[in-house]
Amino acid sequence: MDRKLALGICFIFGVIMFAQYFSQHPMARAVNQAVLEYWQIIFAFTLLVGVASFMKSSFRKMRKPSDRPYQILGLLGLISMPVLALVWGIKAGTPFMWMFENVQAPMQATVFSLLAFFVASASFRGFRARSLQAAILLGAASIILLSRSSLGGIVSDYLPPVAEWIRNNPSMAARRAILIGIGLGSLTTSLRVILGIERTWLGGSQR
Amino acid sequence: MKLETRHWTFLGLFVVITIVMLLPIRLSVPVSEQTQKMYDFIESLPPNSILLISFDHEASALPEIRPVGLAIVRHAFAKGHRLIGLSLFAEGTVIGYRMMQNVAAEYGREYGKDYVYLGFKPQYIAAILSMGESIPRTFPEDYMGRPYEELELLRGVHNYDDVAAVISIADGSLTTHWMEYGAARYNLTVLAGVTAAMVTTYDPYIASGQMYTLVGGLRGAAEYESLIGREGGGSRGMLAQSTAHIYVLLLIVLGNVIYFLTRRKRGL
Repeated sequence: MDRKLALGICFIFGVIMFAQYFSQHPMARAVNQAVLEYWQIIFAFTLLVGVASFMKSSFRKMRKPSDRPYQILGLLGLISMPVLALVWGIKAGTPFMWMFENVQAPMQATVFSLLAFFVASASFRGFRARSLQAAILLGAASIILLSRSSLGGIVSDYLPPVAEWIRNNPSMAARRAILIGIGLGSLTTSLRVILGIERTWLGGSQR
Repeated sequence: MKLETRHWTFLGLFVVITIVMLLPIRLSVPVSEQTQKMYDFIESLPPNSILLISFDHEASALPEIRPVGLAIVRHAFAKGHRLIGLSLFAEGTVIGYRMMQNVAAEYGREYGKDYVYLGFKPQYIAAILSMGESIPRTFPEDYMGRPYEELELLRGVHNYDDVAAVISIADGSLTTHWMEYGAARYNLTVLAGVTAAMVTTYDPYIASGQMYTLVGGLRGAAEYESLIGREGGGSRGMLAQSTAHIYVLLLIVLGNVIYFLTRRKRGL
């Protein structure tokens, strides 16, 4: 019964939200606004699920002595930021802002910057012209990479136009094909969910 | 400790970047069509136009995305436009607020009259759609908790019909949602400042007219800085980035030369 109720609610809201898209009637706009507001409220609650899941996973990993310091640090971060925000606020000069600007932002930028080193290492060890297809891919990537640097035009006047051609023709054709495929896939999945054919979102058995 | 090949490649990159960062050389960058289009768009708007600036990025992309955002916000303030800032990523909220606050101070702009910061709204798809219906209902208060209707700039702003465009400063694919829901449903004009890695992702959208234009990566920032005549992080970082690109290309060539020589030796 509870599954049928969920499927019924899903069908009704799916049809309503589909239909209101094509209507400018004030009632349709009001329904749309109300549903969107509830969507945001429900989403905020999912963040709590994320926090609970992180805490559960951290406590489980803490059983391993070598992982314990990292898990404690993670949990301290999780707890301290909301506490700092609630006690001193989030304006400039508060401890929350200090932590964000001097701990979180530099740490994230550091981790992201490490990518440059991994790319350098991978380019030496992994990017091999083992076949004709790999050689074409490598050539195209090199032209695009060079054209994005300010030295592209210095190496050759032909380089920027060739890079533009690659971006505007083969690259865009492939991207369009992927995007159209994603669009059709989303449409099919949505219809399957609204009509109750696809039921995996309910969890448990498909029946 | 024995240094392996990968350690040498790391060390090489570190040395190369450190050296070029110390050199007082500024590379001249020809302005691309896309960057020029962004500049012309902001130039062509009548003074006092209202622009939405959405800081849709995280702290990890700051070194690349900050110069892009700074150049665009500086240009918009310099032209006398009014800005409404917001973020659809929790982390972008503080970053965007500080950036707007600092640039507004540079140009003597007043909070509430010349610019407003609405803050963060979770679930970006719902937020974009909801603002299309009603911005005051989506953001009843600004970032500082002041009621929407008390802010002078916002009094005439009800939905996307009352803004000239949205400029999404993004490090990922969030701009796609501005196009799919803001532009497709509410005819919102979408422009973007994105990281270099995302530029080709948006090419089909620009070609189809779904996105007006974008400024891409550090290079785009350097181009924009040259257009507004104000040097920033883009111009400073271009030499380092270009040198790193060349370094990576040389490693690819070297790796392939070694690969083919080894194959020949083995008689493959």
